[in-house]
Amino acid sequence: MEEARKGLLGHLNMLEMEANNLELQQQELRQRGRQEELSANLQALLSKRDQLKVEIKANTSLQKMRTLLDRTGVPYERNEDVDDLEDGSDNSQLLLMMARHTQLKDLLHAHHLIGGYDVLQTRKGKGVCVSLATAYEGVYLETYNLEIDLGSNLRICRHNIPPFIPLERLVTQGNMQTDIRDFLDTLSQYLNAYAGRKQQLHLTKEIHSSVQVAESNALCTILVLMFTIPGEKAETTLCTLQYADHTQRLPTRVNIESEDTALASSPQWKKNQALLLETPLHTALVTMKKTGSIA
Amino acid sequence: MDDSTKRLLQRLMRRIPSQMLQTILDKWAHLSREDLHSLDFTQPKWVLTEHLLALCEENGLRVKHITELEMIYIIENPNQGMWHGFQLLDAEEDAPSIELTQFKEQFKANLTELISHVSIKIKKHTDEAIWIRVAWGDNFTKPYHLKPTYVVHHLQTPYVFVTGVTSKHKPLLNQALVLATRYSSMKDAHLSGRNLTAIRDLLMRQYQQVFPTKHPKPLQEKNPVPRNPNIEKEQAENTENRLQMACEAFGDGTLPQLQKAVYKLETKFRDNSNKTLTGREEPFRGVVEFASTNLLESLRHCVSSGMASTPVTPLLSSITQKGRNYFVITDKGV
Repeated sequence: MEEARKGLLGHLNMLEMEANNLELQQQELRQRGRQEELSANLQALLSKRDQLKVEIKANTSLQKMRTLLDRTGVPYERNEDVDDLEDGSDNSQLLLMMARHTQLKDLLHAHHLIGGYDVLQTRKGKGVCVSLATAYEGVYLETYNLEIDLGSNLRICRHNIPPFIPLERLVTQGNMQTDIRDFLDTLSQYLNAYAGRKQQLHLTKEIHSSVQVAESNALCTILVLMFTIPGEKAETTLCTLQYADHTQRLPTRVNIESEDTALASSPQWKKNQALLLETPLHTALVTMKKTGSIA
Repeated sequence: MDDSTKRLLQRLMRRIPSQMLQTILDKWAHLSREDLHSLDFTQPKWVLTEHLLALCEENGLRVKHITELEMIYIIENPNQGMWHGFQLLDAEEDAPSIELTQFKEQFKANLTELISHVSIKIKKHTDEAIWIRVAWGDNFTKPYHLKPTYVVHHLQTPYVFVTGVTSKHKPLLNQALVLATRYSSMKDAHLSGRNLTAIRDLLMRQYQQVFPTKHPKPLQEKNPVPRNPNIEKEQAENTENRLQMACEAFGDGTLPQLQKAVYKLETKFRDNSNKTLTGREEPFRGVVEFASTNLLESLRHCVSSGMASTPVTPLLSSITQKGRNYFVITDKGV
């Protein structure tokens, strides 16, 4: 019986020892695994830190180059301030290009914010899309787009500019191949003037319902309005506005015809004629209503 | 009223659908109020026609009044018959400053010079379009009003839309238009369809075009097909790209309704497995025609659902980009 008990206890002791050993082994394994994991982490973090350091270095030199460019417009290739550049002229050329690139992008963004045109790269650098915004009296109106193919010759592949704006003529006259800024500026002028005239007509129709539009055209360069003169006779007067300069928002000629032939030569209407030549249509009509020239 | 006028009116009455009759007669304004009230629009059309004929006789209305009625009807419903687009080329110096009265006088003068017996009616519609109706006669006969030609032109644009012109009269019409608009020539824009508004919108780019922008808003598919969420997640970026490309090629929103696109092939046959046809000198002539009730919408759906490969082949995107639906493809290109 003692032996049996000894045997059983011994067996249990042995099992206990084995269990302890196993646990120790497992702990060691776990620790080793944890250690490996941590050292791998450490390696990754170290390499990331090195990468970030390099990026910071590149960015600071880019910033320095950019401030130089902004301040003077001329880059310095060798400068006492820029002493981190060890690789010589190749690197500095690249930095110069990058600085100019960021400068151009910021300039375009600023231009876009003040309502000018904006340029986007498309098709992985093989084309650009120019979006021209139009605005009148502080209100944004339509945006027109041009997609230009960047080959050996610049070519407009598609656009949504209305057909009465003479695009082909502007392309040849403005020399789109050599001076794209000139072309875009002129195009923007035409579009903004057209949008301005259209908006003036729209506001006139909305605000001044007593004034009737007898004739208008799509480009908004000819406008014939009918006024009613207050008085017992309630005569009508025809006013023709011609905008011969398509880049302007004000008319070049104002003609007044009336059933009462003396009306057109009266001093008040001479003043009105001058007013229509100098102020936008809807504001001119407000003044004319106030002075009692029209109903 | 003579027989031909009566026939004209009868034909016109048969064309105008009953529901529009009253509004069109109101617009015409050549019948007095009492006469209009006396017309009973619930009667069958042939009775109405007889009544109308009698009223017209009473009021002494003539051919020019009946043609006015026809013009009003066509302006209200332009999407019938086959319209062809033409493009004017090489504007002269004063083309941008042509105004309406000048154009009207010039056109009438030119056309009557070319052919002495024509009946011309010009009307300006509220959307800045000029509508011209021409009935052709020749040096010995009076103008034949049963087959008129209609022309639509927007001033200061280089596009003209014509329907109902025969090949005999086409060069005369072209010449008169070219002289009146102060351009130097006119060519076929290779765009035709039954729907005038569609071809006009396409040529004058009045549909909603899509351009690449800095902050692309995710375009929503208008008619979503039944979805499987797992497939959707994997394919989300591809679907968005395809949709963007489809909309850039064809437009967004409602598209102009074209019915057909025709590609005439004059290219050499190039399949090596067919020995008889390959290697011949002459081009293999064939015609590929796409037809649909709304062709652009179907093409856009093909691209956005992946049935047509992207980037969109220029053969298909030329329909919207160049505003044509008839192409001749040679080995050198379109």
